[in-house]
This record gives sequence, structure tokens and C-alpha cells, in this order.
Amino acid sequence: MESGDTDLHTLAGAYAMDAVADADRARFEQHLAGCGACREEIRGLREATARLATAAAVQPRPELRGQTLRAAAQIRQLPPAVHGDELMHGDELMHGDELMHGDEPMHGDVPMHVGEPMHGEGDTAAREAAREAAREIRPGAWTAGAWRMGRGGRNARGGRAGLLPRLALTAAGVLAALTVLLGVMMHGAQHQLDQAQRSTHAIAAVLNAADVTMLTAQVSTGGTATVVMSHRQRALVFTAAGLRALPAGRHYELWLTGPAGTRPAGRLPAVHAGMVGPMVVGGLAGGDRVGLTVQPAVGSRRPTAPMILLMDLGSQ
Amino acid sequence: MPEGQEQNPLGQAQGPAAQRGRDPALAALLAHVARGDQRAFESVYEQTAGQVLGIVRRVVRDPAQSEEVMQEVLLEIWRTAARFDPEVGSATAWMMTLAHRRAVDRVRSEQRSAERELRVVSAQIAYDEVAEAVEASLDRERVRRCLTSLTELQRESVTLAYYGGYTYREVAELLGIAIGTVKTRMRDGLIRLRDCLGVE
Repeated sequence: MESGDTDLHTLAGAYAMDAVADADRARFEQHLAGCGACREEIRGLREATARLATAAAVQPRPELRGQTLRAAAQIRQLPPAVHGDELMHGDELMHGDELMHGDEPMHGDVPMHVGEPMHGEGDTAAREAAREAAREIRPGAWTAGAWRMGRGGRNARGGRAGLLPRLALTAAGVLAALTVLLGVMMHGAQHQLDQAQRSTHAIAAVLNAADVTMLTAQVSTGGTATVVMSHRQRALVFTAAGLRALPAGRHYELWLTGPAGTRPAGRLPAVHAGMVGPMVVGGLAGGDRVGLTVQPAVGSRRPTAPMILLMDLGSQ
Repeated sequence: MPEGQEQNPLGQAQGPAAQRGRDPALAALLAHVARGDQRAFESVYEQTAGQVLGIVRRVVRDPAQSEEVMQEVLLEIWRTAARFDPEVGSATAWMMTLAHRRAVDRVRSEQRSAERELRVVSAQIAYDEVAEAVEASLDRERVRRCLTSLTELQRESVTLAYYGGYTYREVAELLGIAIGTVKTRMRDGLIRLRDCLGVE
């Protein structure tokens, strides 16, 4: 933050207009975190760009209104950020932005509804909402760097497996491996901090459960999936490594399937260097298995592609 | 949150011309939305859906995709209303930032996926479209006027970046000027625009 400061600061205009690539954005937000004057400048510039936006207003088709309102009713809202310290200031400045970063797997890089006629069924948003509602705990903020460090702990024990999972670790071992990962998450970029905290809490609840177990299994198209779970918490943490990168418009989708039926358990975040996760899945029911598919489009309530992973989760 | 003010959050002044005046009311509405008030969200929708769609369409172009993104943005507003902090900026700025960001994300992910070549868009065209579209109201007129107060390079840089959804590097390429120059023009242009519009 010394020599590059002036140069970095000229990025304020581009940043306020989202005219920056991810790397530049990350660099600038780091800069912002330690520069009150810059935050103030961005605030003012964003008021100006907002006027550029409102000047472009058009009249939406009336039917969009009902669709959107119905969809909203099915979406669980985020709680307020409860923090009072300076640390979060950068985050507050860009309030809302945090949700738009790559760390939000729901709406990340993959274009939604690809190949689906938008107006055909009318309520793609509603279906998206349903998916969202089905996801009890949202996956958290994530960086590739953090992931690599977290992986190290697990990798020492990770193993082979066919489609059948293998009971791998003691509760203590799991905790040791993933505590590192939690710590790293907490030190992620500031705009991710809050989300990380919530996700971390959810993960901690699983890891600290008395009945925590860890399973690994091979993904048939390549890669290894790891599940840390607690039947008592009715929740699991899913991560994977070595996954094949997918073409645009396709994504990895998790499912829970068992006597309680087959339910979507969330779209995996974008694959970074072959790795994804951790993703917290709640609402486990007895006899559930975890499945993974490559889905061609968003919004399916049932898997429309073959399972490339199906893990038994053992008995309660 | 501006709690305890004597305003009915559902009975707002209408019309984009009252942009500045209605923002505190929008902020109050968002506070209600944050508590799950669906009627408040309806009001937010009515007041902002057109603005959201407007900027999204400007960036995304494709009408069907724009509508999708518009709905995503409104749902994001619903979902994250509790994270809006009036201390940090106006409600409109918060929502328009969400909208623009998501529009830009959409076009960039599409570009990546299709590995499309950069379309060479003439800056003049981009500006003409702005000028055409902003004549509808006083507000628009003012934005138009303020845009013309920028130098040509500032204006081209700002409109290509904001309405075109291009990164500053792409804008530099499009305009055939140095990256450092583009960054400076964007910042100077926005500052001038901010001062001209009288926003804080």
C-alpha cells in the first residue's frame, strides 16, 4: 500500500463503475479498507453513477411484478450484519457488493436459465426462489488460497474410494484438519468476512457435533468429494477437489436423496483450481445419500443428469 | 435506520424527478423490507423496477436476459435489505450499484464462456443512445447536460464503462489510448459528473 498508492487510487472511477476485472477489484478493495478518504470518494461517485442508472429507466412488463413478488415470498432474507467495529467498514461501504462477488455461488459466473425460454413457463424466478429456499444454510465466502491451505490438513488423510464412501476419520482428526480452514476463512477479504462468519458458524456446528464423521468418495467424472457430517445436527459440509471444469451454462449440483425424497441441496460454487467448497447442507433426513450431477440449467428440482457421485451417509 | 419518522412507508411521492427527495423514504421502505414486509417490497418494486431494468438493459442489451437480471436484482434487494446502511450511501445508490454490478457480471460471464471477441462499439454511438434516452424528464435532462459538460474523452470513458459494461482496460483498447489515461479520465469524469449533478 505504499508505492502503488497513487496509481491504485486513480482506479476509483473505474471501480465505482464496475469497470474493473476481479484482480483489480480485490486490490482496490484492499486499498479502500485502509483509506477513509477513498471510501468517501467512492461513496460520492456511486451517487453519481446511480444517477446515470436512473436516467436510463424504462417501463417493465407488468407481469414481471407478480412473478417477482411471488418469488420474494419464498426467499429467506439475510439477517442484519451485527458488528460494530471498524473492521467491517470496507464491507459496509460496498454494502450489497459482497453479494455480487464470485463468492456467491448462487449467482456467480454461470449465466442463469441458459437455454431456457424466459417467458415459457413464466416463473423461472420463482423456481430459483424455491431452490434458494431449499437451501437452509448458505455456503460461505471463499477464496482459492484459503481452500488450498484448508485442503492440506485433509489431504494428509484423504484416500481412495470407489463410488462407495469410506469412513475416514475420528472427530478429533476432522476438527484438527478443518480448524485451520476456518481460521483462514476468517481472514479472507473484508467484503467476505461477514458471510464467512455465518458460514463458519454453520460449519463449526457440524464439526463440533459429538457424532461428527468424515467420508470421502470418488467422483466418477474425476475428483474426490469429502463430506463431514453430523446426523445429530442433520447437516453436512461438502467439499471436493480435482473436479473437472465445466463449460459455461453447466454447474455441479448437490442433491440429497433417500426415503424423504430427492431434494436439491445447492449448486456448488465455481470451481477454483479444481476445488470447491466448503458448502453446508442442512435438513439431512435418515437414510439420505448425497448425490452430485452436472446440470445443464438452473432451476431443476430433480436431477436431470446422471449422478456422478452417490455417497451413503451411514446410519443415524 | 431512520426509525420513528412520521412517514407512512407505503405512501411515497412518485416519479423519478423527485429522486433526491424520495431517497429517505426509500431507505425507510428498505428497513421495512428487511423485516419481511412484503407490502413494503411491493412499493420498492414499483419505485425501482423500471430503474433497475433500465440500467440492466443498457448493459445487457438482450431484453429477455435483462428481465431475468432485473428480477434477480429485485430479489437480491429483498434478500439483503437488512444489509443496506443509510449511513453509507443512499438507497438508490445501493440498489443501482447492485443492479449495475449484476448486469456487468452477466455480460462478462457470457463473454468468458463464448470467448467472444470484443465488439468494437463506437463511443459516439454509446453517447448518442444516452442522449436520446435521457430526454424524458428533468432528471434525465440534467444527467444529459452534465454528461456534455465532460471532455469528450471523459464522457466516452464513462459511458463505455458504465453503460457499455466494459472494463477500463477494454475501454483503453476501444479508444486506443493508454490504460493510465483511461483510469484518470474515468475518475475525473465521474468527479465532474458528481459535482455537476450536485450529489453528495
